[in-house]
Amino acid sequence: MEALDRLSDHLSTRLLDLNLAKQEGRKIIGYTPGGFLPEELVLASGAIPIGFIRGGNHDMVELAGAYICHWIDTFWRAQIGYGISGDDPYYSIIDLLVMPITDNHSRALMDVLDDNTAIEIFPFGIPHTKDDPAFKYYLNGITRLKAKLEEVTGVEITEIKLKEAIDLCNRERELLREISLARRSRKVPISSRDFIALGHGSFLADKQVMVEVLESVVKELEEPVVSSHDGPRILLTGSTLAQGDSKVIDLTEKAGGVIVIEEFAEGIKPYWESVNLDGDLMAALADCHFARRVPPGWFRPGRERLDFLVKLAKDFDVAGVIWYQLMYRESYKVESYYFPDILKKGAGIPLLIVESDYDSAEIETLRTRVEAFIDTLRR
Amino acid sequence: MAKYYDELLKLCGFTDRDITQEGLRIEKAFQKLELGPEDMMNAEAWVRQHHDIELLGVRRILGLWIKELVDLVLCRDEGKKVVYYGFPTIAGPGMAIKVAAPEHVYCSCPDAVLCHSLGQIFNKLDPVLEAGEQNGLPPGHGLCTLQTIRVGGMAKGIIPVPDMVIMSSYYCDMGSKTDELLRERYGQPAIVVDGSMDSRWGEFPDYRPERVKFLGAELNKFIDKTREILGLDLTPDIWEKAMAFNKAVRVRVRELTDLMKADPQPVSIAASELATLLITASTGRSVTEGPEVIATLSKEVRERVRAGIGVLAKGSPRVMTFLTSFTDPSIARMIENAGLAMPVMFNSATLRMRPLESTYTTIGEKRAEVQLEVGMFHSSYGLAKRWAEVVEDFKLDGSIWGYQFNCRPSAETSHLIPKFVTETTGVPCLSLEVDYYDNRIYSAEALKTRVETFAEMLKSRKAEGAA
Ligand code: SF4
Repeated sequence: MEALDRLSDHLSTRLLDLNLAKQEGRKIIGYTPGGFLPEELVLASGAIPIGFIRGGNHDMVELAGAYICHWIDTFWRAQIGYGISGDDPYYSIIDLLVMPITDNHSRALMDVLDDNTAIEIFPFGIPHTKDDPAFKYYLNGITRLKAKLEEVTGVEITEIKLKEAIDLCNRERELLREISLARRSRKVPISSRDFIALGHGSFLADKQVMVEVLESVVKELEEPVVSSHDGPRILLTGSTLAQGDSKVIDLTEKAGGVIVIEEFAEGIKPYWESVNLDGDLMAALADCHFARRVPPGWFRPGRERLDFLVKLAKDFDVAGVIWYQLMYRESYKVESYYFPDILKKGAGIPLLIVESDYDSAEIETLRTRVEAFIDTLRR
Repeated sequence: MAKYYDELLKLCGFTDRDITQEGLRIEKAFQKLELGPEDMMNAEAWVRQHHDIELLGVRRILGLWIKELVDLVLCRDEGKKVVYYGFPTIAGPGMAIKVAAPEHVYCSCPDAVLCHSLGQIFNKLDPVLEAGEQNGLPPGHGLCTLQTIRVGGMAKGIIPVPDMVIMSSYYCDMGSKTDELLRERYGQPAIVVDGSMDSRWGEFPDYRPERVKFLGAELNKFIDKTREILGLDLTPDIWEKAMAFNKAVRVRVRELTDLMKADPQPVSIAASELATLLITASTGRSVTEGPEVIATLSKEVRERVRAGIGVLAKGSPRVMTFLTSFTDPSIARMIENAGLAMPVMFNSATLRMRPLESTYTTIGEKRAEVQLEVGMFHSSYGLAKRWAEVVEDFKLDGSIWGYQFNCRPSAETSHLIPKFVTETTGVPCLSLEVDYYDNRIYSAEALKTRVETFAEMLKSRKAEGAA
């Protein structure tokens, strides 16, 4: 896909561009990728948002062992490794790290970085439930964030600037949605690998460029699909799908499965909802990014997401679900026990649970399990 | 006619009258728990080996745990409304429910009750853990073993499905998620009391008022929901009474903790743990009999202090742990046998609380404010800071940060707390991976080498200091 090539070119010089932007006085705002940070606020402050989505590297996980025991989720341990080692250059250029504190795993990263690095961190808590006090708490968090961004950038986030930023981000979400929904077709017009690359790109790329890339993708999708993958259609779900963590995708594709839809709390930006532009914009941001967003597994009650997964399974007509579990993310592990029943009842399809600690030694076991699952679906 | 359980019950401080009065209930509960004559013999041996049965107070506290176990196992059959909460928990909600309907409600942290009874007395928790593992919380994934016990207890049908659960969603993710698992299976109604520990490392004792407002609003929501689900009105009077009950037990525990400061240490920390955890786990027997029973123990301990009797040599290095095992007293004994006095657990220590002139008006907000002041539900830094304070206040020679490996709020501080405490107090702090609820892997034997090495280091430090 040409559009993807453009994105890839853009990302290859992104660090350079960011350094130049920094020299010109623009601020770089890093954030952790759970989808609870409204990028709109960062953009409206004139700063550049950068999501920390790298993962899949066991060396980083091991490095974290000097700072924390291994009973913490793999992705977040990897972030500790990246953050402390400087192996992820983005950690070195940010002016502020915004951390929506979701569960104890993200809190672990905050505490370890706070204690061991000079990175300036701005945390704001994400409640685990969706009642009224929780909504107010989230709204208060992003309102404090707005003030912090104004302080860091020296730019007032006006209504007009915020509206422009929302428009841009809504456009990005709309396009991602359109592309994703196109995969409901029997002829799958874009591979999951490419779709995920777009998603990951959206955490790093210049927003305007990203929107243009997505518009080009949509155009390219209008062309008749020449080669389409056929094989059992798969829904891939889990807590985190990081950039560089492609093991399960590779194995599924090799085994002949076709991933047609993904649902992840971290690493795939939520694109199902748009921000409403009527009324108070801060409340509208909270409404989209918190209240209407599909909640991650650590929300309670957590049934909303599980029902959403069943709906996705039906809408995308999948033959099976692969539940990609990172080690020690307890909320997902617990759900993986009772979700297969819900899925069976709701969509009549099976589920495979695979687990990873980003360790290359896992590959053969994963391969055998994924191949056997796809084989069963084929039959 | 003598019954197969008489000897054990007497060992655990039951009088003949108690046995006559409670006998039928005990028999019924033991049947449900599949505790037969052989288990009684094993329990007797276990209790004699690991608990300080010379002290009537210890025996009677063990007896209280048996009574609480029986109450838990039979509460549904006895027509009570059943309410569960988690551990650790904000003090108040559970007790308020109990106070609102003392005769009609059974309210506790059931897994903590099972640990202290089936574990500490019968050493027979493994089948419950195994049932939990087979019913949703498999081993090898770092899933909380305390929750595994709750799941196992319900799967085995030894603890009833509750009418309501209070989810402590403000601290860990595991407790609430396990309650979700149980809700999927049994349909138990649950109230989520949420919060967000989003304060930075270094922020304690400060916090944003929104944290109080949020947690406070969640606690107020709990009051409304309790009315909806159980028809109980948790009025300010009831809360006041609940806090007074809580205080009555706490005062007794504090007396005991103060006595533990004596050198030589007069009684094993395992005994003090049995008393301290009553407040956390039970709203029933802890209140009706707890203060008197703990006072009995304190009286005996006071006599030991007067007579200079100790369970360790005078001058032994003194350390603190977070807790000691909920299930296995031999772990505390192992630490003491290594020559380390443990006068205090973090959980029973008196903290340096600043005077609080609350401007909050609702019950929920007032409770939330106190919790944030205490520190543990504030942040990991809050806990670290408090830990360091207790090390200083008790003039300890060391501390053992025993982090519960499958409890994320605890595990995330595996390195942070020892580092902070050592740096700020100059007193060594050992990071020790433990399981307070399950001794199958983290047994006294398995932990011994690390503890002994630490003990040797503290002893030579102390000797150098004295020289
Ligand atoms: S994970 Fe920790 S806080 Fe949560 S229930 Fe288990 S022991 Fe308690």
